[in-house]
Amino acid sequence: MTVPAGTISPTNLGIADAAPPRNYWRQVFHDTFAPTAARLGVAWIGVVAVLGIFAPLLANTHPILAKIEGHVVSPMLQNVTVPDVALLALTAWTIVCLVRRCSPSRLMLGALIVVPVAVLAALLLTHPPDVVDYTQYREMRRQGKIQWELMAPIPYSPYDFQRDIPDAELNAPSRYHWLGTDALGGDLLSRMIHACRIDLAIGLIATGIAVVIGIAIGGLMGYFAGWVDLLGMRLIEMFESIPQLFLLITFVAFFGANLYLIMAIIGLTSWTGEARFIRAEFLRLRRQDFVQAAISQGLPLSSVLFRHMLPNGIYPILITSSFGIASAILLESTLSFLGIGLSRDPSWGGMLNQALSAGGTFVWWIALFPGLAIFLTVFGYNLVGEAMRDALDPKLRT
Amino acid sequence: MPSTPNFAPEIPMPKPLLELSELSIGFTTGHRSIRPVHDVCLSIYPGQTVALVGESGCGKSVTALSILRLIPSPPGHVLGGRVLFEGRDLLALSEREMQQVRGKDIAMIFQEPMTSLNPVFTIGEQIVEAVTLHQHVGRNEAYAIAEKSMRDVGIADPHRRLLDYPHQLSGGMRQRVMIAMALSCQPKLLIADEPTTALDVTIQAQILELLRSLQQERGMSILLITHDLGVVAENADVAAVMYASRIVEHANVGELFENPQHPYTQGLFRAVPRLGVKASRLVAIPGTVPNPGRFPPGCKFHPRCALAASRASAAGAVQGVEVATDTGTVCVPKQCHATEPDLRETSREHWAACHYVAGYAKATATVPRSASQRATEVPLPVIPMAMGEGGAP
Amino acid sequence: MLTYIIRRLLLMFPTLLGMTIVTFSVMAMSPGGMTAIIANREGAVDPRYRKAIHDYYQKKYGLDKPLAVQYLMWLNGVSPLGVKDAGAGWPVSWRVGFKLPDLGESIQTHQPVLDMVEASLPITLLLNIVTLPLVVVLSIWSGVQAARKRGGLADIGGGMVLLGLWSIPQIWAGVMLVGYLGNREILHWFPSAGLHDVQADQFSFLPTLWFAGGLHFDRGWLLDTAWHLVLPVVCLTYAAFAFTSKLTRGAMLENIAADYIRTARAKGLPEGLVLYRHVLRNGLLPLITSFSTLLPSLIGGSIIVENIFALPGMGRLGVVAVFDKDPQMVMSLTLVASVLTLISLLLTDIAYAMADPRVSFEAAPS
Repeated sequence: MTVPAGTISPTNLGIADAAPPRNYWRQVFHDTFAPTAARLGVAWIGVVAVLGIFAPLLANTHPILAKIEGHVVSPMLQNVTVPDVALLALTAWTIVCLVRRCSPSRLMLGALIVVPVAVLAALLLTHPPDVVDYTQYREMRRQGKIQWELMAPIPYSPYDFQRDIPDAELNAPSRYHWLGTDALGGDLLSRMIHACRIDLAIGLIATGIAVVIGIAIGGLMGYFAGWVDLLGMRLIEMFESIPQLFLLITFVAFFGANLYLIMAIIGLTSWTGEARFIRAEFLRLRRQDFVQAAISQGLPLSSVLFRHMLPNGIYPILITSSFGIASAILLESTLSFLGIGLSRDPSWGGMLNQALSAGGTFVWWIALFPGLAIFLTVFGYNLVGEAMRDALDPKLRT
Repeated sequence: MPSTPNFAPEIPMPKPLLELSELSIGFTTGHRSIRPVHDVCLSIYPGQTVALVGESGCGKSVTALSILRLIPSPPGHVLGGRVLFEGRDLLALSEREMQQVRGKDIAMIFQEPMTSLNPVFTIGEQIVEAVTLHQHVGRNEAYAIAEKSMRDVGIADPHRRLLDYPHQLSGGMRQRVMIAMALSCQPKLLIADEPTTALDVTIQAQILELLRSLQQERGMSILLITHDLGVVAENADVAAVMYASRIVEHANVGELFENPQHPYTQGLFRAVPRLGVKASRLVAIPGTVPNPGRFPPGCKFHPRCALAASRASAAGAVQGVEVATDTGTVCVPKQCHATEPDLRETSREHWAACHYVAGYAKATATVPRSASQRATEVPLPVIPMAMGEGGAP
Repeated sequence: MLTYIIRRLLLMFPTLLGMTIVTFSVMAMSPGGMTAIIANREGAVDPRYRKAIHDYYQKKYGLDKPLAVQYLMWLNGVSPLGVKDAGAGWPVSWRVGFKLPDLGESIQTHQPVLDMVEASLPITLLLNIVTLPLVVVLSIWSGVQAARKRGGLADIGGGMVLLGLWSIPQIWAGVMLVGYLGNREILHWFPSAGLHDVQADQFSFLPTLWFAGGLHFDRGWLLDTAWHLVLPVVCLTYAAFAFTSKLTRGAMLENIAADYIRTARAKGLPEGLVLYRHVLRNGLLPLITSFSTLLPSLIGGSIIVENIFALPGMGRLGVVAVFDKDPQMVMSLTLVASVLTLISLLLTDIAYAMADPRVSFEAAPS
């Protein structure tokens, strides 16, 4: 006679019965990565990260290990650069920490020691020449001087423009160049793999800067309210009303184009979203009892702000950060595409530029692959951000 | 199942304007279903005010919305029964035919006047919309009708008010506008879903007074949905008490207040504080209203029923069944746990659904029909001071 | 209404001032600062005249004065209202009044930037003015569809598709569109560059169709321009549409569950009227609000589209200026773009006030 156990029903009816809730953040985290879309997004971001970190091992003209004229040498190690070493050391340390389940603070402290040590070792032990001769290995192979060698899967470096091979420019995808070559003769796949590092780095660092500025300004606005808030809102409006791309090209026009500078500039113009979020959170939190309690205990302002109020606002910040990274990658690609961003360092946007201009005809492989890479990465971050937002507030689901 | 009533009426009964016959509504989301309205039977006669009384969550709003078929179709759907309006089954009408009925023959006003009016249109536009839809008149005439409607509900300066937006009016005014809008097409039945719950007490009295006078002027029927016994006492002719998706008692208001038969109704009356009576605590009904997904078997009230508890202890533990409640276990008669009582006419024009109400065993289940209307000058019924056990078994 | 507009204008003033400060700071903070501007100009000049030029710019921009004063001098030059030379502007004989803003000169052509802006602004405006209504109409359609068929496959899939659409980089979309649809070798459905055909001057304004030994169809100037605009507008529209459509769908879905919609149905309104009159009207409000984010990005997006499709608008001018190492022109263009954005934001506010009667014309919205 009884009706089977019920569930969600319109407003004035019964409430759903749920299993006892887990820790709130754990639940949100779980909900975020439950849908397949979010998992695919994270998977792709993971792929890009792995490609970026292990780039020198994946695409390199220098053999990893070779026996040349009787000596066993590692040209790859001899030509390793500082970013390569830093990234690999950091990854190794992170894996060690994960396996041994160290706390996050231990991870960070250890990183601060391990990475500089590795970099120092690299600087001392290796002597990369200023101008790298990529043609020497092919030359040596022709002359039979190499007994055996262990090459990276893609035997081309991003700056190896194959000067010794005639007609190396703009080759369609083939057995030798899986994604073809670009206008200067460089292997497209190799450049794309190395570009992973750049695009991700720009995304993370630029967004990091934006988050820091956003938290600082937004936090102060939210906490003090009053005229600080009014002033801050005018500042936010100002930055939001200037079209971001115009402001960016103004910066580039005056400061020039340089990887680190671009990261900083993108961060400097993208902070308004984070600021708004933190401001809203703080405005809401400052009324709550636990904040009043902290203040009445005489805790210093920084403690109240950072230890008590900020942890509550972290998740919305993660959401805006995810979208922010996507937007930063898009901005950098656009700048490079227009020709005013990175020129020498490989960048997906910069590669896309050659699709139309080079040779006067449409070069489909240069248009398709780098563009697809940008799209998938941006889509991945957007998916994750969207999943986080849905997990946090199911009412916002569209 | 309608059958000949036990008690011969003195005068031939007029036909009811609206009759709900074993109406059941279900909600399904995913693979789970609930039944918030179960076999509800009700009748409303022309010119009568019938009150549907119950706590939040008992299903009264769903019943009201389903009369006009305003329940969204996934997830809600009709499980059975009929809604007869002037002889026609509203559930069998097409959507287009139903739109002819809504607003014109049957009108509805809702609980929240603050959100029930569209904020981007003027009051005038919203009333005129209803008028032009059902009455095929020109725009000017429609505005004149709207203005008259507003004057009838007591809004001062209606001509100017037509151009106002909802946010410029107070809650009481908005409810008056809702009433004006509902009555602009002269409906035969007005369904009022807790029309005064969201308003101040003084405004409450005004709105109810307004409804009473409008009803008398037009001979309109009202289905008044409320949880407030005071409102029932002042305004209703007939009252139906609803608990956990079922009607548990149905009687004329005077009779109900003098002689409540169902233990739930008795419990409701016991819980009302009385002036002049010294008491340290209100006598509340123990426990809480069950969730529609988890109704108890048998009589839905039995875990909280004082009558069941006393019957079981009187008969001895052998005949009883242990039932878990929010406060522990209680022993109830087997019958209460096993069989759900249906609504039977236990005395004249008084229906109850409880195994242990006097006359229940011999009574038959009929569709409750009572054409009684109180005379205009009748004094308010007095809530009796002492409550007995509700009659011999 | 007038007081509302005036109030909004007054509130915009500090924002405008702030924008000029931000733009000026970029220049002031850069290595070389203001002197970088004149250094470029000096470089192209005969050594004999270098000192004179140097002194001229020194005086003009007040380079020996403190930064605040430099800013004020620059602001005065750029603003249409300020201290001016007697004999120019209006009133003619006064030292203070309306004047033509001096946005500097282009290094390449020595043309006043103001003239170049005058020539390129209409094109950027055209692009945006065509895009905006398209975005609005498409979003409304999408929103109503979502409200109609809520919960179906179209609804859930739609959200993902829209997110994907939004994620497509404009540079990629533009390149692919030109590459496949504007290419002589593949599908030459649309022109790949420019706003007008080479022979556009000779076209009549409207399309003509005539019969003379065979059927002739002459595009006409109007149709020709429209044809050239198709790909750029598509490139601008899709991302904007994805953004606003998500918002509109959300708003419609929220509205359809509102109490006043229940009232409308209880009055006996057919479902179509409920959707298209009641739900839609309320759904417009968040759409208009979203313009405040949308419009700056549309104007910024013009940079990309104008460059890919070689349209001679402000965005193209800006990028060319960066290549020419003409930072002052870039700065002036940014200023113009910002003013443009502010004006469109003002119009958005007015539109919102007209659409939502709850906004009082006296109070300033937050």
